[in-house]
Amino acid sequence: MFDLVNAMKTAASGMRSQGFRLRVVGENLANVDTPGFQRKTVSFESEFNRVTGATDVRLGPIRLDETELRQSYEPGHPLADERGLITYSNVNPLIEIADAREAQRSYQTNVSIFDQARQMNGSVLDLLRR
Amino acid sequence: MFEELNVIRMASSLARHASARHRVIAENVANADTPGYRARDVQGFSTYVNEPFTPRATRAGHVSTPGPTSVRYRSEIVHDQALDASGNGNSVSIERELLKAVESQGQHARAVAIYSTVRDIMRLGLGRVR
Repeated sequence: MFDLVNAMKTAASGMRSQGFRLRVVGENLANVDTPGFQRKTVSFESEFNRVTGATDVRLGPIRLDETELRQSYEPGHPLADERGLITYSNVNPLIEIADAREAQRSYQTNVSIFDQARQMNGSVLDLLRR
Repeated sequence: MFEELNVIRMASSLARHASARHRVIAENVANADTPGYRARDVQGFSTYVNEPFTPRATRAGHVSTPGPTSVRYRSEIVHDQALDASGNGNSVSIERELLKAVESQGQHARAVAIYSTVRDIMRLGLGRVR
C-alpha cells in the first residue's frame, strides 16, 4: 500500500519535471524573434529519495544552447550593427515543437501510471467499505 | 486470525508484489527521459513462492501452503539488448512499461478479488449473507 503511495509520488515528480520542461519550451518559443536570445535546454537527473526509497526524477541545471545565433543582413533595421547584420535567437521552432510533444507524451504516461496506482489503492480501501 | 488463512496470506503477498512492481514501473516512467537511466523490474511473483507448491503438514490432518509473508521485493536492472537503441543511454520503453503497469494492475485486482471472496465465504459461515 505504501508502495502505491510512493508510486504516485514518483509519478508526480515525473509530471513536475515534464511540466517544467514544457515551460522552458514555451519560453524558447516565445523568444524566437528576440535578438540575441540563447535557447535554454533542460536536463533530467534521477534522484534517490531517502524518505520513500524510490528513484525520483529531478531537474538538472538549465543550460544555454551555445550554437551560433542566427544572423541576417538587414541594413535598414534599427538594431542592425555597422555591417548591416542583425542577430536573432538560435531557437528552431521545429525542435521546440518536437520537444513539447515528447514532454506531453511523457506527462500523459505519468498521469496514467498515477491513475492506475490510485485505482489500485482505491480497490483496497473498497474492501473496508462493506 | 486472517493472517492464519493461507489463501489470505497468499492474496496479500500477491497484492504487495503488485504494488512493489507498480512502484518500480512509476520510477521507470518518471525517468523515461533521464540520460543514462537503466530500466528496472521486479522479478515475477512465482519466483518468490516456494516452488513447487509443497504442502507442509506440521500436524496430522493439517495442510498448509507456505507463502512469502515478509519478503522485500527487490528491483534489478533489466538487461535487454533491444532497449539500448536510444542514444543517451536510457533503456526505458514507454510501451513496455505501460504493458507491465496493466499487468500489475490486473494482478492487484485479482488479489483483491480473492480477498473479498474469502471474506464473503467467512461471512456466510457466520450466518450473515452479504
